Amino acid sequence: MRAPGIRAIGLLSGWGRGTAAIPVDASEAAGGRPVLTVERPALDPERFRRSRRECLMGVAAVGAMLEDAGQGPEAIAGERTALLFATAAAYAPSNREFIEARGGSMYFPYTAVAAVPAEVAIAFGLTGPYEILVGGAPATMRAIARAAALLETGACDRALVLAVEVFEECADLFERLRSPFDRPLVEGAACLWLEPGDGTLTLERRRGWKDGQEDKGSVGSRVGEMLACEPLATLALARDSAGLEGTQVHGSWRGETARLEWSRAPYQTRPRAA
Amino acid sequence: MCGRLPLATPERIAVSAAGVVTPIGQDLDTFWSALLTGADGISQIERFPVADLRVGQGGEIKKLTRAVDWRRVPDCRATRLLVSAADDLCVQAGSRPLDVEPDRLAVVVGTALGGVEEGERALGGSPRRLARALYDAPGHGLARWLGARGPVVTVSTACASGATALGMGAEMLRRGEADAVVAGGYDILCRFVMRGFDGLRSLTRDRVRPFDRRRSGLLLGEGAALVLLRREREAGPRRLGTLLGYGSASDAAHIAAPDSQGRGIERAMRAALAEARLDGADVDFVSAHGTATPLNDPIEAVALRRVLGVRGATVPVNSIKGAFGHAMGAAAALEAILCLLAGRHGQIPATLGLEERDSACDVDCVQGVPRALRPRISLSTSLGFGGCNAALVIESA
Repeated sequence: MRAPGIRAIGLLSGWGRGTAAIPVDASEAAGGRPVLTVERPALDPERFRRSRRECLMGVAAVGAMLEDAGQGPEAIAGERTALLFATAAAYAPSNREFIEARGGSMYFPYTAVAAVPAEVAIAFGLTGPYEILVGGAPATMRAIARAAALLETGACDRALVLAVEVFEECADLFERLRSPFDRPLVEGAACLWLEPGDGTLTLERRRGWKDGQEDKGSVGSRVGEMLACEPLATLALARDSAGLEGTQVHGSWRGETARLEWSRAPYQTRPRAA
Repeated sequence: MCGRLPLATPERIAVSAAGVVTPIGQDLDTFWSALLTGADGISQIERFPVADLRVGQGGEIKKLTRAVDWRRVPDCRATRLLVSAADDLCVQAGSRPLDVEPDRLAVVVGTALGGVEEGERALGGSPRRLARALYDAPGHGLARWLGARGPVVTVSTACASGATALGMGAEMLRRGEADAVVAGGYDILCRFVMRGFDGLRSLTRDRVRPFDRRRSGLLLGEGAALVLLRREREAGPRRLGTLLGYGSASDAAHIAAPDSQGRGIERAMRAALAEARLDGADVDFVSAHGTATPLNDPIEAVALRRVLGVRGATVPVNSIKGAFGHAMGAAAALEAILCLLAGRHGQIPATLGLEERDSACDVDCVQGVPRALRPRISLSTSLGFGGCNAALVIESA
């Protein structure tokens, strides 16, 4: 399929804002901390009075992406912008609170996986194609491929691929599931602005690999375990050193490893200084 | 309008077979007969406590009756509903395992709730269930049961999830990522979701009355619905119909309520029709979302009238929510299957619970008895929390 170009990237993570905050070695930088948390973004407290932290992280990631593009919200508003959201577990804190009866009924809609992209869509007036995938890194890569298909068929002029992961509120639960995560859990929110580009995009996947095996393109040891955010963090890091060559992203989840490859450099702009 | 015409005509995707599990039938034939005869799948919920809730009724499946070796299936209700529907699908397809190379068989399922009940049980003292609480766990359980080793995808566009799954499955085939896709949706009735909707005062103490003047809310149901998708040129003669188009759109209006003008569902319908290279004048039948909430039905009706144009007052419309409640992630897939069965059998089931038409819902909702009509082109609409809208355009075989 025709590859999308990457116009801008917004990245917030437990390491800080943008790629400059990402360490060389996540495990070493974490210093034994199992979870690296993103603080609740300080957005308009009245407008977002009921919003959960993960929703605000999504909104802030899109804001960071716009800043990276040097554009205002009007550049993405409307029905010609598709929004594709991926997460493995951003719904876990809201679900837990509701199960433990710590959240009132008015917060029930926030237990939906759709709550995060809904807040983003409302905040930026995004009314185009809208899809939500659940899973780790391969889900995000599939969202990028899906965005490419929407761009290729003319269903939209631009597509935002958003991923959000939060762990803090369920850190004890993730600890019980620790075996798949041999790196620190790093919260994140990232958004990719995609537009029609050049070259081809290929999505491949294999089943049966163990996490980490044949995953040489992964930057997981650097960023930590970011689940669905990891491919977007990888693309942000790759942009810093990008030339004219193609770009690959790898990621694993539930025994499946996916690889997304641009035949040509996808970056339409250089990163702006943080 | 959302969705300029595609650059090339998209490859046609055949629906080769389907399978369901619902409160009114645990196979395709029983489900269809129950819809035609007006069977009522609403009952007092028995599987978990509801005494503290305003409303304790819903479309509950009392017992899974299919002859499946349940020892091979995780003790997770969501997974078991999916496996029940898949077992029916395999019967309808004439082979189990399905006649597809395992590496080329994909699974795409939609859900609003995933394995959330497993989360309830894990937090209630069964921590080993934790891994099943992630929303994509049941889809992987289904893939294991099917022996599918192709892509396994879970989507969660709330109550539009089943439609999203079918659309995404079709694209997977067009891209050559798989040779066959088992796609659909599921959700279970559990205390989590009953508490949520009960607290929002969305549930009715009356019966579910889609498009009725006296409608006062929805009831929840549970179920699973799956279809077997193949590229039409490879599908062979056995088929229920063709998935011609899919479209989605965000409302960007409210976290829980639909856009007051129905603009999101209108964009989704127009996008689905554009992908199908059709317009509203081509539609013979609409399987509506029709939740029977005071808000949803008139909004949906107005949007339908805009899309269907001059024929908007005469195209028959149906909602199955009156029969067994709102099956959430399963709803859109069940409604897509309804469209295919209506085309096969030449009948459109009546909308159970509709007795007094609401002038604010100015569509031709089939009422009282089934209508003899063999729709060729059907439109199925779905709306969900988070401003999720999706539509499917389906051609009967």
